[in-house]
Amino acid sequence: MSSSPTEQATTAVDVVMPQMGVSVAEGTIVEWRKRPGDWIEADEPVCDVTTDKIDVEIPAPASGRMQEILVEPGTTVAVGTPLARIDAEAKPGEAHPDEHAANGGQPAAEAPPPRTEAAPPQAEQAPAPNGEEDRSRFYSPVVRRIADKHGVDLEQVKGTGIGGRVRKKDVLAYIEGQEGAPEGRPEPLLHIESPYRPDEADAPQPSEAGTEAAPAAPAGAPPPGVGELVGPTRREPMSVMRQAIARHMTGSRRTAAHCTTIVEADFARVAARRGELRDAMKRRGVSLTYLAFVARATVEALQEHPRLNASVDGDELVYHDDVNLGIAVALDDGLIVPVIRRAQRLSLEGMAAAISDVAERARAGKLDPDEVHGGTFTITNPGQFGAVLATPIINQPQVAILDLEAIVKRPVVVEGEDGDSIAIHPMTYLCMSWDHRALDGADAARFLAKVKARLETWEVSR
Amino acid sequence: METADASVVARERVRELVDVPLTREDRAILFRYMTMMRASEERALTLYKQGKVPGSFYDGRGQEAVSVGAAFVLRPEDRMCILHRDLGAHFVRGVTPDRYLAGYMGRSGGVTGGKEGNMHFGDRMLGCVGMVSMLPDMALVATGMALKFKMRHEPRVAMTFFGEGSTANGQWHEAMNLAGIHRLPVVFILENNRFAYSTPNELEFAVDPVERAHTYGFPGVNVDGNDVEEVFEAAREAADLARAGGGPTLIECQTMRMHGHGAHDDMRYVPKELRDEWERRDPIDRYAERLVADFGFRADEVEAIRNEVQAYVDECAKKALESPMPDPALATDGVYADEFEPLGDGNAPWSRWSQHNGAGNGTAPVERRAA
Amino acid sequence: MSAVEATGTAAAELASAPSGTREMTYLEAISDALRTEMRRDESVFCIGEDIGAFGGAFKVTDGFVEEFGADRCLDAPLAENAIIGTAVGAAVEGLKPVCEMQFADFISCGFDQLVNVAAKLHYRQGIAVPMVVRLPSGGGFSGGPFHSQNPEAWFVQAPGLKVVAPATASDAKGLLVSAIRDPNPVCYLEHKGLYRHIKDEVPEGEHAVPIGEARIARAGEEMTVVAYGSSVHLALRAGEELDEDIEVLDLRTLAPLDRQSILTSARKTGKVLVAHEATRSAGIGAEVAALVTEEAFEELDAPVRRLTAPDVPIPFSPPLEQSVLPQLDDMKEACRELLAY
Repeated sequence: MSSSPTEQATTAVDVVMPQMGVSVAEGTIVEWRKRPGDWIEADEPVCDVTTDKIDVEIPAPASGRMQEILVEPGTTVAVGTPLARIDAEAKPGEAHPDEHAANGGQPAAEAPPPRTEAAPPQAEQAPAPNGEEDRSRFYSPVVRRIADKHGVDLEQVKGTGIGGRVRKKDVLAYIEGQEGAPEGRPEPLLHIESPYRPDEADAPQPSEAGTEAAPAAPAGAPPPGVGELVGPTRREPMSVMRQAIARHMTGSRRTAAHCTTIVEADFARVAARRGELRDAMKRRGVSLTYLAFVARATVEALQEHPRLNASVDGDELVYHDDVNLGIAVALDDGLIVPVIRRAQRLSLEGMAAAISDVAERARAGKLDPDEVHGGTFTITNPGQFGAVLATPIINQPQVAILDLEAIVKRPVVVEGEDGDSIAIHPMTYLCMSWDHRALDGADAARFLAKVKARLETWEVSR
Repeated sequence: METADASVVARERVRELVDVPLTREDRAILFRYMTMMRASEERALTLYKQGKVPGSFYDGRGQEAVSVGAAFVLRPEDRMCILHRDLGAHFVRGVTPDRYLAGYMGRSGGVTGGKEGNMHFGDRMLGCVGMVSMLPDMALVATGMALKFKMRHEPRVAMTFFGEGSTANGQWHEAMNLAGIHRLPVVFILENNRFAYSTPNELEFAVDPVERAHTYGFPGVNVDGNDVEEVFEAAREAADLARAGGGPTLIECQTMRMHGHGAHDDMRYVPKELRDEWERRDPIDRYAERLVADFGFRADEVEAIRNEVQAYVDECAKKALESPMPDPALATDGVYADEFEPLGDGNAPWSRWSQHNGAGNGTAPVERRAA
Repeated sequence: MSAVEATGTAAAELASAPSGTREMTYLEAISDALRTEMRRDESVFCIGEDIGAFGGAFKVTDGFVEEFGADRCLDAPLAENAIIGTAVGAAVEGLKPVCEMQFADFISCGFDQLVNVAAKLHYRQGIAVPMVVRLPSGGGFSGGPFHSQNPEAWFVQAPGLKVVAPATASDAKGLLVSAIRDPNPVCYLEHKGLYRHIKDEVPEGEHAVPIGEARIARAGEEMTVVAYGSSVHLALRAGEELDEDIEVLDLRTLAPLDRQSILTSARKTGKVLVAHEATRSAGIGAEVAALVTEEAFEELDAPVRRLTAPDVPIPFSPPLEQSVLPQLDDMKEACRELLAY
């Protein structure tokens, strides 16, 4: 309740226009029975007032001396208006020198109540760091509808709503901004992985059917001529698989504009969860690996970032509704990538079971020819051998490949209520190579951030 | 008084029925309508037992004299609120048994086209406002119609029926009170049929309702509800009084409900002696005897009326069975009115009205009886 | 504040040759509507408690006995079912009764006749019941639980009744005139707090506002407040004081609801706040929110919210009452939140 003028350090008490009846809004002074300077007893009538329902006398709210009349007879005022002031500390018999100059009426200017300032506004672009929920990827129905209609990639749109939410006006503004840009290309982003050189994009050859991808040593510049090698040598014909891999890898490198982005992921929760579930799954014949967690997180992230589940075909991007997840399986002299179809349907356990199954059959040479076709995204996991970083080659015609490297215990900084501390967590690097024809660095980073976030916040029973 | 004892009822008020203004033709009509009500309700009960009637079944068996006798008094421009044991009143006003039977079966040919069931109907074109289930709400509606008659100085009457159970309800008292304050032209017909569902009189009120009328400022009259002419006479006097500006009357008709509250009720709470006593006082059989004994009818004449009515009702039943079920698309129709239409006038078969106007449309001035 | 006329919707106002306007309070407009109709049509009459010699608890019918006679301004006994039930009987016979419940709260004593008899007669028997039940509703003056209710939702739930709730003096007259002329039973919610606090230029003479049409009280683009009665004024003030682009849709009729106007506005702004003084659960706000979500889901940029009283009886003491009835600050806060979403 705001403070009324009567509640002050001074002693003046107001006579106010009463509400005489439920719907009465105003009243009119008829006559004053007390003049300034007059002594008043509490409850004694001080004035007569009329409303359109009845006439009434107003009794004094306190004893004292009439100080000032604020409303003259004949005036109509709203209910609650102060009509006169009474000096409640005056004593009977004392003269009141100058009633008109009495300044009891001005309320002391109130200091505004101290208020804690709201946290400073978050940086516009990035998801809010300080505890405010990141709503930058929540899209309301109208935002989705408008984006669909105009072919807008909502990840490109800056959100000005709470938590960075993309509001209707944001997507409309974005579209309007686009209408100026040449050929509707998205706004150039601030951060670019590598220089984009349009001339380099040769018409990509469709990869041969059944080829595999290998997270082998990065292919770089053409090797020096064999004839220049020094010393005795031994020749060995390359196996069919080896030759296929060679063709595929070089072809992929020529076709795609390869970049690699790496995020570090804390597997503490995944490890804990794996510990909780492992035994029960083992009893059911399912081996729960870290790869299964990564696969599950990847599939979820792909549903929110469909561009990484697409293919390039000439000038078009072909989006795939299903995630057909390729899992690279190392073989004696090579590797093979069986595909788990419609992996988005699988639960964690289902994923683990599927991975075990294809891996086993791949090693046993019992895959169907169909099972190595039609992948839309590939995951590889050579980390069992201890390497921590790699830059894999994309499995054509996909646009990205994710490499799970070794999981290593490291000391890490943990933020707590009482400040920072050091803890030992299982950490790893998720390395993703991606095709700059289809994506940009920000897309890749956002996708990986999502995978990382999923893994780092995996639900664990308490 | 002990309302359960029929002989006490008979002694209470024996009316000397002299100069009752009924012609021979009127008497035949009275008998015909009572018989029609009995035959139609028997047929409806059969249909109910044959599974052709959804919901519940109610009849007024044994009470035929009340509705027929009272309704017979009305002029075309009078109005009625009719209750579930008063089928005879509907017939007197002009509803035909086939529409009644179709209504019970939920067919389009029923008076409400399937919107309402069993006795919850009233043909607005015949000046009737049908009942609601909450009793005695219609007493107030009749009071309202009477208010209009008084405001417009029209010599018209609103007649409303209710059972003795209704007199326990606040709305009955509100209606009686308002009618008494303003001397409204309402005729309150109270059918005391001994039981309100299973509740006997002694659990329904402490003072016989007819005794209460004077506390609302107007007369209460107690009649033998199984004597159609006694009911008629009392209603006639009340209607004449009302038309003359003399205000309302409460007529308590002593009768007995010979079937259960509904067909689902086996009346186990009714003592056998009571049933037998009232069985002997069946209004139709009694009137049949009187027609022969007092009014110069031959037995075969009376029998002929019974047979004609039975044949007519059978024909109506056939017609009703041919009526189709209503179109479900109509279920959401008619929630709101698009415009106001006044209630129509009902039939007025009493010879007194036809003497003044052959069409029975109430345009001729009323001959006032001395108060 | 002046009324902004309806835009976009079909029917023009039914006024015929108004002879100019006059400044009237909401209450005066109600009296004026009654007087005008009673002069124009002899079948219109008033019935209620203390409306005759006393002129009505709120003086709506002050002077009516002198002008129209005690017959047409009928003092009823303390019997709400009798008032309503008698009105039904008179109405089916061609009169046009305007019942006054002394407080809307007392309608519970006449509920049976209103909901079971009046509302259903046409559906069941084709009998039109042209009557009006005036219901002085609303709180804010320590009336306590039995003099402060807003029971309109009960009657929106009874098929066969029409329910109107004017916010401006001009609509108070226009809707009452239309209610009297409508062949159906109409519940007319007159908010007591608006009686003397709201003034408008009201057309003199014949002035009718169609039932079933909402009115855009203030046009805007960023969000819509759907409101009726006292909440319309809260919304308008909030819009001005916040200086935001807030559209205020004054429903005016609650049954039948002007669904089209609600949806048009919702689709335009994408953000809807429904505001009413009545309690929350299963109120008009719930109905509007369901409608908007069902029919305009893909246009929504924010969840549909409601600003209402909580589900409590209205308390007596001012700080309690003020914390229950939506205040201007509550309205401003609700608007701010929705705009920022």
